[in-house]
Amino acid sequence: MTHQHINTGWPQLLAVRLRSVRRDWTLTAGIAIISACYLVAIFADFIAPYPYASQSRREPFAPPARLGRCPPSEVAGFLPRLCLYKQTLIDPLARRYGEDARAAPQSLTLFPRGYSYKLLGLISVERHLFGVEAAASGEPARLYLLGADRLGRDRFSRLIVAARFSLLTGPMGTLLAGALGIIIGCVAGSAGGAADAALMRLADVLMALPTLVIVLAVRTAFPLELPPSRAVLLLVSIFALLGWAEMARLARSMVLVLGEREFVVAAKGLGLSRTRILFRHILPNAARPLIVQASLMFPAFLLAETALSFLGVGLQEPEPSWGNMLAEATDLAQLRRSTFTLLAPAAAILLVTLGAHLSAAALKRRGGQAVS
Amino acid sequence: MLRLILSRLLQALLALLLISTLTFSLLAAVGGDALTALRVDPLISEESIRRLSRVYNLDQPLHLRYARWVSGLLLRGDLGQSFFYQSSVWSVLKPRLSSTLLLASAALMMAVACSALLGAASARRPNSLIDRFCGLVILLTASTPRIVLALAALALIASMPAAADRAFQTTPGSFSWRGASGDVWQLCLAAFVLSVPLVAIFLGQTRDALKAALALDFVRVARAKGLSERAVLFRHALRAALNPLITTFGYSLGSLMSGSVVVETILNWPGLGQLSVTAVRNRDVPLLMGVVMLTSAAVLLGNLLADVLQHLSDPRLRRAADSARKSSPA
Repeated sequence: MTHQHINTGWPQLLAVRLRSVRRDWTLTAGIAIISACYLVAIFADFIAPYPYASQSRREPFAPPARLGRCPPSEVAGFLPRLCLYKQTLIDPLARRYGEDARAAPQSLTLFPRGYSYKLLGLISVERHLFGVEAAASGEPARLYLLGADRLGRDRFSRLIVAARFSLLTGPMGTLLAGALGIIIGCVAGSAGGAADAALMRLADVLMALPTLVIVLAVRTAFPLELPPSRAVLLLVSIFALLGWAEMARLARSMVLVLGEREFVVAAKGLGLSRTRILFRHILPNAARPLIVQASLMFPAFLLAETALSFLGVGLQEPEPSWGNMLAEATDLAQLRRSTFTLLAPAAAILLVTLGAHLSAAALKRRGGQAVS
Repeated sequence: MLRLILSRLLQALLALLLISTLTFSLLAAVGGDALTALRVDPLISEESIRRLSRVYNLDQPLHLRYARWVSGLLLRGDLGQSFFYQSSVWSVLKPRLSSTLLLASAALMMAVACSALLGAASARRPNSLIDRFCGLVILLTASTPRIVLALAALALIASMPAAADRAFQTTPGSFSWRGASGDVWQLCLAAFVLSVPLVAIFLGQTRDALKAALALDFVRVARAKGLSERAVLFRHALRAALNPLITTFGYSLGSLMSGSVVVETILNWPGLGQLSVTAVRNRDVPLLMGVVMLTSAAVLLGNLLADVLQHLSDPRLRRAADSARKSSPA
C-alpha cells in the first residue's frame, strides 16, 4: 500500500489507471456488467417492444409468451424463424390462459415498426430491436417476454425502461453525496479544532441513524404524486444530505495522513497555497480510496431508491421502477404461479450490485484501501 | 469511564433532539396530516374537520405543537396519540419494539457467529482454499441486497403451501417459542435475510484485523512461548483485533434498522420497520415521530454500548480517552 506521489496531472493518472484495468478480470467483469446495464438503459426505448404504460386490459396477468419454431408454411426465408403462439384468456376468474387455436402463429422479426420514440433524445425513430410485425388483418398478438402485469402492461418493456430511473438516481446521489463528503472532510481535516470535532460528531450521528426510516418520514412530508423528474431530484437530494458521512470521514483521514508526508511538507515549505496543496498534492493521492468508497456508495443509493419505490413512496405508477415492479411480487398466489417473471427486477438489481461490488473489490485490491 | 458514558449520553440526547426537530418540522411544514384524507370527503363537513383539528391541536402553529410534543415526551414520557390506531403511540410501539429487537439480535448473532468462524479459519491460513472461499462469501453477501433475498425467501415460502399457511400468522406481541412452530421458522428466515449483508462487513473486518494482528510482534512471542495456534489466535490475536470489530458493530446498527424496514414488510414480521411503513402510508405523524425517535434511540444506545465496550477492551483507550480519537482515522 504505497502511495507514491505521481507528479502529473489528472489525465496521466487516468491513463495509468486505464492501462492497469485490463489485467484484472474481476474489474473487467464488473465494469462490463455496469456498462451493459447502462447501454440497455440508454437504448431502452429501442429494446422495449411496447411503451411502458400501454395497457391491454383484455390480457391481465398474461403468462410469458410461448415461442416456437414457425410452421413450414410461414417460413419465408432460408433460416428457421421463431414464431409467437398467441395465448388468450380462457377463464377470466381463474385468470387461466390457453392457446388460441384460431390465431395463426406470428413470426418474430428483427427491427419491426413500433411506437415512435426519440433515440438518444434527438432522432425520431419507429424501429425496435425485435417484435411482432403488425399483421395485415386484425390486431397483432402482443409479445410478452416476461408476461403482463394486472393492467396488461408488458413487464419486459417496463423492466428495461425502469433501468433508466434506477441507474440515474444511484450515480447522481453518489456524486452529490461524494462531493459533499469530500468537501466536508477536507474542511474538517485541514481546519482542525472545534470545527473538525463538530463536523465529525455530526458525521458519527448521521452514520448511526436508521437512514431509511428517516428518509421514509421525510418523503412522506412531500406530496406522493410528483412528476418523475422532480421525484428523482427529491430522492437524490435526501440521500445526499444523509449519506455524506462515510465519505467525509475517509476524506478527513486521508487529508490528515497525507498531510504529514514529506511531499506535502515540502510543498508547504515551498510556500504553496493551502488549496493548491489540497487539490494538486493531497487529493490526487487520495483518489483511489475515495473512488472505492464512491463505488460502494453507488449500489447503496440504488438500493435505497429501490426500497422507497417498493414501499410505495418512491417513483409512482405508471412510471416503472424496479422497486415498484417488485411490489407486485408480494402477492403470494401470484408469486407461486410465476416466480421467475415476477422476480426479474430483483435479478436486475442483483446484477447491478454484483457489478458494482466486483469493481469495488478489485479497485480495493489494487491499492484503494485507506491508509491508516 | 463514567465521564465518558455521561458525555456520550449527552451527545446522544442532543442528536435525538436534533432529529426530532428536523423530522417534526419537515413533516409538519410540507403539508398533509391525518386529516388530509378527510378533507376531500364530501360527507364530512367543514365544521367537524375544524373541530377535529382543534381536538388534535392541529390548528396551532408549528413551534407550539413541537413544544407541546417535546414537553409531553420529556415530562410525562408521552409520545402522543396515534391517529391510525386510535390509541397512545407508546402502546402501539411497545410490542413491536420487542419483536424488532428479537429479530435484530438474532440477525446479529447469526452474522457474528458465521463471520467469527470463517474469519478465524481464513486468517490462520492466508491464501488457502478457505481464505479464497471467504473472499467469495464476502463478495456474494455484500452484493446480495436484502430486498432481493427477502423476496427470494418469500418465493420459497410461497412454494410450500403448508409453510405459507403457518407463516404470516405472527401479530404484534404474539410471538412464542413453542406454540406454532411457524413463528420460530419465520424468525429464522427473517433473521437470516437480515444478517446476510452484515456477514460481508463483519467477515471482511474480522479477516483483515486478525491478519494484521497475527503479523505483530507479540504474536511471535506467544508462538515462541510454545502456545498452541488456537490459543495464539483466540487469546492473543483476537483481543488485539477486537477494537475495529466493535466499531463496525456500532455502525452497522443503523443499517440493520434500515434493512429491517424492507425485510419486515416483505416477510410480515410485526416490528418497528413494518410499523413505520404503516405510519407513512396513513400519514400518522405522531406514530411516525415515535418510530423515528425509538429506532434512533435504539441505534444511538447501541453506539454508546459499542463505545463503552471499546474502552473496556482496549487499555490504551482508557488511558488516553481523548487523544486516541485523533490518531485513529477511518
